[in-house]
Parts: sequence; C-alpha cells; structure tokens
Amino acid sequence: MGTLTDIATIARWEVKKSFSMLGREVLPFAIILFVLLVLVTGFAAQTGMHLQDGMYNVGVDDPQIAGLLASDARFSVYVMDSPVLLKNRNAFDLIVVQGIVNGSATDKANAAQKTLERDYAKYVNSVYNTENDLFAAYPLWIDTQSVKSELNFLSTQSGQYVSANPRRIAPVPEGEVKTVPTPSPALAISQEELRAELVQSNTKNTQISRYTETLSTTSTSMGNFKTPAQLSPPLPFDSIILIFVFIFPLYFTSQFFMMSIMNERIERKGEVLLSTPLRTSSIIIGKALPYFIGMVAICTGLTLYIKASPVIILPLIPVIFFFLANALLIGMLARSFKELSFISIFFSTVATSYLFFPSIFANVHVISLISPLTLIVLTIQGSAWTVTDYLYSTSLFWLTGAVLFYIAARNFKEERLFSEKKLVSRVREFLSEILSQKHPFVSLFLLSGFSIPFIFMVQMMCLVLFFNIPMPYSLVFLLLFAALVEEIAKGVGIYTIYTRDPAFLTWKNLILACAATAIGFLAGEKLLLFVTLAQISDSVFGSILFLSLGSLWLPFLLHFACVTIVACCLKIWGKKGFVPGLAVAMVVHCLYNLYFILGWLG
Amino acid sequence: MKIKHLSIIAKKEFRGLYNEKTILLAILLQLFIALFSSFLMVGLTSMYDPASLSRYSHSRYSIGYAGNESKILTYLQTSPDFRVYQMDLSTAVAALGQRKLAAVIYVPDTRPDALDPVKITLYTLQNDLQTAIVDVKLKDIFLKYEKDLRDIRADRLKEELVSLQIQKTSGGGDFYEFVYGLLIPLLVFMPAIITSALVIDLITEEYQHETLETLMSTPITFVEMVWGKVLACELLVPIQAGAWLLLLMLNGIAIENAGLILLQVVITSLILILLGTLTALHYRERTAAQFIFSTALVVVILFSLALPANPLNLITRLAVGTAGMDQWLLLGGTIVVILALGYLTQRYAEKIGKTHNTR
Repeated sequence: MGTLTDIATIARWEVKKSFSMLGREVLPFAIILFVLLVLVTGFAAQTGMHLQDGMYNVGVDDPQIAGLLASDARFSVYVMDSPVLLKNRNAFDLIVVQGIVNGSATDKANAAQKTLERDYAKYVNSVYNTENDLFAAYPLWIDTQSVKSELNFLSTQSGQYVSANPRRIAPVPEGEVKTVPTPSPALAISQEELRAELVQSNTKNTQISRYTETLSTTSTSMGNFKTPAQLSPPLPFDSIILIFVFIFPLYFTSQFFMMSIMNERIERKGEVLLSTPLRTSSIIIGKALPYFIGMVAICTGLTLYIKASPVIILPLIPVIFFFLANALLIGMLARSFKELSFISIFFSTVATSYLFFPSIFANVHVISLISPLTLIVLTIQGSAWTVTDYLYSTSLFWLTGAVLFYIAARNFKEERLFSEKKLVSRVREFLSEILSQKHPFVSLFLLSGFSIPFIFMVQMMCLVLFFNIPMPYSLVFLLLFAALVEEIAKGVGIYTIYTRDPAFLTWKNLILACAATAIGFLAGEKLLLFVTLAQISDSVFGSILFLSLGSLWLPFLLHFACVTIVACCLKIWGKKGFVPGLAVAMVVHCLYNLYFILGWLG
Repeated sequence: MKIKHLSIIAKKEFRGLYNEKTILLAILLQLFIALFSSFLMVGLTSMYDPASLSRYSHSRYSIGYAGNESKILTYLQTSPDFRVYQMDLSTAVAALGQRKLAAVIYVPDTRPDALDPVKITLYTLQNDLQTAIVDVKLKDIFLKYEKDLRDIRADRLKEELVSLQIQKTSGGGDFYEFVYGLLIPLLVFMPAIITSALVIDLITEEYQHETLETLMSTPITFVEMVWGKVLACELLVPIQAGAWLLLLMLNGIAIENAGLILLQVVITSLILILLGTLTALHYRERTAAQFIFSTALVVVILFSLALPANPLNLITRLAVGTAGMDQWLLLGGTIVVILALGYLTQRYAEKIGKTHNTR
C-alpha cells in the first residue's frame, strides 16, 4: 500500500508542476495555434497542396486540350500554333500537336507523360460516368476473391517463387479438392449504385483526400467489384496518416516526460526527491504515470474521434511503454538541450521507421506484422488478428521497454544524474551500474540474455531494410550486419567490466566471463525464439539471424569463441583492442554462418 | 553591435556542438536515410505508384483459366509474363491454395455485345507480395480486354471524347515526381527545421543553466548574444543542405540550379530561425518554447504549402529547371518577412537586455 501512495503522491506533484508551468503562458498560445491549425488545414484542403506546381512545361495547339491539362497544376500549359510548337519543341517537356502527345526521351518527359496519362484517364472516366448505358462504358468488371494459402508464407520469403519454372502440364493439387461454386455471371449491384461509386472513386483520386479518407471505417457498397483500372495491389496508404495521427502525439507527450526528467537534473530539484525515503522505482513510476495516462487518453480520444474499434489501443500500449522508457533514459543521459534534441530526433526517426516501414506491406506480406502499427491498419480495415499476432508484434516493445526502465531505475541516483561526462562513457557507466560487483558472472549472463530483444529489434530493422535489395546482396549485407550487431552486444559487457577494473580480467576470469556471456546469449536467444519468432526463423533470412535452432553445443561454441576473441584482444591490447577484436569476431561469425547456410542450401 | 562579439558567441556555440559530438547523430541520420534511399524508393514510391512494384520481378506466372473461352485467354497465352492452363475451377482454386498457381481466372459465358457487363472472377492468394505483382500484370490484360469490349459496344455510347493519343513511354520516370516533387524539397528544408529547433535550445539553455549572468558580465550585450546564436544556426544550414544535395547527386539524381537552391534555402530558413528565437526569448524555458514552436511550425509549413507559389514548390521547380523570373519575386517577399521578423527580434532583445542591465 505504501508504495502505491508514494506513486500517487509523486504523480500528483508531477501533474501540478507541469500544469502550473504550462497553464499560465502556454495555454492561451496553444489554443490560438490550435485554432489557426484548424483554419489552415481547412484552407489547405480547399486550395490543395502546391508542392509540385509547374513542374512540367507543356505546349498545346488545341485550346480544348489545353483546358483539360490546365486543371492539373503540375503542368504549365502554353497554347501556340503547331509550327511554332514544333520549332521550339526543346523548350517543352511535352508537346501535343493534333491530338498526339510527343515527348523527349528524358526521365522528366516520361514522368510528365505518365501524369498526363493519368489525368486523361480521369477525364475519360468522368465522361463515361455520365453515360446512360453504364455497361457500354464499363463493360468489364472484376470480382476479386482471395484464397488463403495452405502453405506458410515462408516459401516466398525465402526467395522461392510459387512456381519458378512453369511446366507444360497443368499442376495437380494434392489431396482432396473442395468444390468451388461457379460464380454467377451477374453483378449483385444495380447500375446506379455502381455509378455513384465510380463517381466517388474518380473524384477522390486527388492527393489529399486519398489520405483523409483512409481513416473512415465505412466500407464501400461496391464490395469486391472493380473495373480493370481500379485493380491495383492493395498497398495501404493508411500507414502514413496513422503515423501522423497516432504516433506523433505520443512522441510529443514523451518529449514532455523527457524534459521533466532533464529539468530535475539541471535545476537540481531531483536531489530533494532523492533524499526522501521514497524508493527510486516509486519516483520513476510516479513521474511516468501521468504521461502514460495522458498518452492512453490521447489515443482513446483519437480512436473515439475516428470511430474505430477500441481494440486499437491494445497494440499502442506497448509502443507508449517503449517511448516512455526511451524518454526516461534519454532525459537521464543528455548533457544539454541540444544533445537532448539530437538524441530524441534520432531516436524518434529510428523508432518511427521501425513502426512505419513494415506496415507499408500490411496487406501484402506477413513480415509487416513485426510492427504494431500493422495491427492498427488491420483493425481499421476490419480484419481480425489473433493473440499470437499481438504477441508477435508487441513482445519486442514490451521486453525492450522493461529492460530500459530497469537500467534507468538502477541509475536514478545522484552521481549518475548530475555527472557531466561524455555520452559514451555515461552509457558505459549506466551499464556498469547494472553489472554487479559481487556476482559479475551472473550479471554478464543476465546482461547478454537481456540484450537479445534489442539485437532482434536492430536485426529486424535490417531485415526490413535489406528486404528490397536483390537477393544475393541482401543476404550478404544481412550476414555481415547481423554478425556485427551480435558481437557488439556480447562484447559490451566484458568491455564495461574491463574499463571498471582491468585487473579483474585474469585468464581464468576471462574464460568464465566469456562462458557466462555465451550461455546468457544462447538462453536469451532460445527463449525469445520460443515466444515469438518461430514464424520467421525458418526462412533463409531467419536462418542467418537465429541459426541456433538445431543443436545446442555448436552455437554455444560459436558465441564462446567470438566473445573470447574480443576479450583476449581487450586483455592484450587494452581498450584499443576492442574494435579490431570485434572485426575478427565478426569475420569468424560470418564464416560459421556461411558454412551453415552453404551446407543448408547445398 | 560588434561583429567581433557575434563571432565570439557563434564560435562558442560551434565549440559546444563539437565537444558534445551528438550533432553527429543528426548527420548520421542523414547518411542513414541517404544510404537506404533504395529502400525509400521501393517502399515509398510504390505508394505513389503501386505499378512500379512489378518491375522488380521477371519470372513467368502460372495462371489457371476456368469457364468460357474469351479473348483474355489469347492475351494470356501470348503474354511473356504468364503461362496459362485451362482447368476446372475447383481444381484450379485448390492448386492456388497450395501455391501451384499464382492466380485463377473464371470467365462467364456473357456475350461481348450483351447488355449486361462481363463479370470476371479473379482468385488470388491473401497476404502475399507476389499477388501484388501478379495483380499489376493482369491489370494490363484486363484493360486491353476492356478496350475491346468498349469498341464492340461503342455505338451505345453518346458522349464525344476529346481525343488524345499517348504513346507508350520508353520506361523510366516512375520515381521522378517523388524524388523531385517531394524528397528534394523536404530533405533540403530539413536542416532549416533542425537549426530553428537548435536556436531555441541554445537560448533557453543560457536561462535554465543560469549561465546568462556570467555571459552578461562580459562586454557582450544581450542583443549581441541573441544575434550570435542566430548566426551560428544560420551558418549550419548551408553546410547541411549542401551535404544533402551532394549526397543526392552522388546517388545519381541530377539537380539543376544547386546554387540557387542553396541561396533560397539559406534565406528562407532565416524565417524559421527568427521565429524560433522569438519563441525562445518569450518563454525562456525549453519545454514550453519547443512545444509552441513546433505547433507553430506545422501551421506555417501547412499554410505556405497551401499557397500557390511557396518556397518548397520553388525548390522543386529550381531542381527540375522550370523556375522563371518569379523566383526573385518570391525571394523579395521572403526578405521582407525576414526584415520584419528581424526588427521584432532586435526590439524584443533590446527590451529584455535592458532589464538584465538594470538588475
């Protein structure tokens, strides 16, 4: 009970402090700015975005076509006689003479021509939409049906196409064939309903409305029926807008938390708090609580506003937790405001890209599930996701958030908060704090075990980033990078211990420390694999990242050998041996992986 | 105001940045994004133009064809992208489920000149990257067939179209609009945004770290201190923006008028930096100042984007080489705004400076 009251008290202080500061001066301005923002948004929605105005110069000899083109602000249209146009054709990206479009062979002209093509298609549609006989204008309709794959998704991910070499004879399915009902040849929707949909989809093709309408959850009455022109891969545009709507407010609020921590440090008010008998965990939880509640409230408000299912909040909570953990640590680490800005911008970009990039493929590939944002996209689309999906996409956020909070809690004391050392040495000090003096080997074991979620997060990002590079290169990059990340993570603990006390690293202790690190790493790897990553671990990419599924002693030997290389370099050459040691360990790691993958492929 | 004092302040800030070295993170970020621009290209441009995805695949796909014969069958058979098997619908869908086919098409017996539309059923795999590519390739064939049907039913159409003949392009140009119309203006203006946030940090830091009193006891006046910080931030803009342009050029993206772009960015960024300075002088506390400034920034950027001729658009037009004389007009307008903001800053700083001197 006592702890809970403590937390409540701290939380109340925190709320009072930030409100008294914000209330007086900031609120009036904030309200004015908010009103301005609404006005400007309305203005922008009306006039449109003018980022790409006048990109292309087009010469036209027919005023009617000129009018058609001028409706797109990207074109600067010049009306001239055809002989004049032909003479000056180099001054234009495109010229339209007697209804024929001519462009030079440059990229710019091609881009202009593609834009023109789309504009013209839009114009044609707008004319056809008004036809009495709609089915003469749109004679072909496609009914799209999706079939669930009975095999797992890994076959495409490992670079094998469904049927790379089609044979002459039609493929024969194995097992029993379920009867598929013959589709009826008639459309289930009336002509006028279809027309309304066509008119709507034709007008909404503008850049802004495309984004604003992604948040409406109402599905169209058209169902699966599409004209051929509407048939495009289901790449969602939702992710961008979701980032803006959900993640940015979270990022903003976590900034306040970051600043609150920083302010405790620079104004030295934190000392008073620390001198009270309150436990540090109570202080941290109490300080973070108002922000956590605020962020959840913001998300709930947004969810209610867009009338989406409240299930959306569930995947956001681990993201909030992770953001707060990072904000706390950054607030504790930064030495000055500019450093705070740079680190937080860097962190937010990396975190945002981790959240954002996979969700681009929300309807395309299961890899997208590594981002909680995908669950939101799916919820808004009305697709269901399972508890396993939830665990899969959020467990890394929960784990890393928890570890970061633990590190921060252990370091939340005077000599850490008010020191003025360099960033790298501060990070090392933070780590040194969680490495116990009494039980160094247990600490090393735990440290390397708990570094696994971070490693996976970094490696997952690489997986996503390298996913689009052609096959052999993506493997090579991933191979090198995965090895390097793992070696750094394993080496860091021993490096910290060595810097704290070089004498500790006797040969016997060195071997023991390396063994502890290797076992910890292996245990963490196994555990996380078991919980979440079974889906990915079977593909070629997966086999590089998490090779150790098979036997136990081989990966142990690998981890042990690599970390021993780093430790020996440290012992022999001191601190400057760390980087060369890492390089050698990386090469050994890569060779091991290569041998296994080659063996595996062969 | 003495130039020497300004440069002392600017140098002090540069030294601070150099000592902390965390500005490296900002630069690292730029590199990170530039290095992975290939991913950006594929990921983001596919949102602009999903059809660009199909370029990344060169294999032949097996298609199951069920139902009545039609011209689609001929199109599929002659296409280099597909291999077609005429199959029973149930067998074909089962084969699709086992990934032995990439898609299944069912065509009903509706006559091409019937009153009703032809409704084709397309079965594809759920949640599959390959499906996206097959969709794009099938779309071309469906469009061709739609055109055939339209021609057959043409006499039932009433409206006359403005005719425009567009030849097939020689390829390329997919990423053009994305790169020049979005990436370049945003990347080039990013340093302006970063430095305007930086000036707030620099000014509020003097207040919150209580170093202002010490600084005021030197011959440097408060006004000089403010302008010195503005100068330091302003000098960072061309360095960072120039680095962006260079990186883009190294990536093989030709940029015209790089010098003029730099000029525009350097001058326009002064607006943001002065806005940041005013906010910082008003609040003298980082949290409040940064919050108000970043909200104001969104308003300002959104507003300027809604204007027909705006600095971001000018960057686009300069980069593609279609900017005319009106760029100087815009520059003139920008300078007027800067002069107004500069005057405000000067007066405000003088006012605050007096209270510091009398104390």
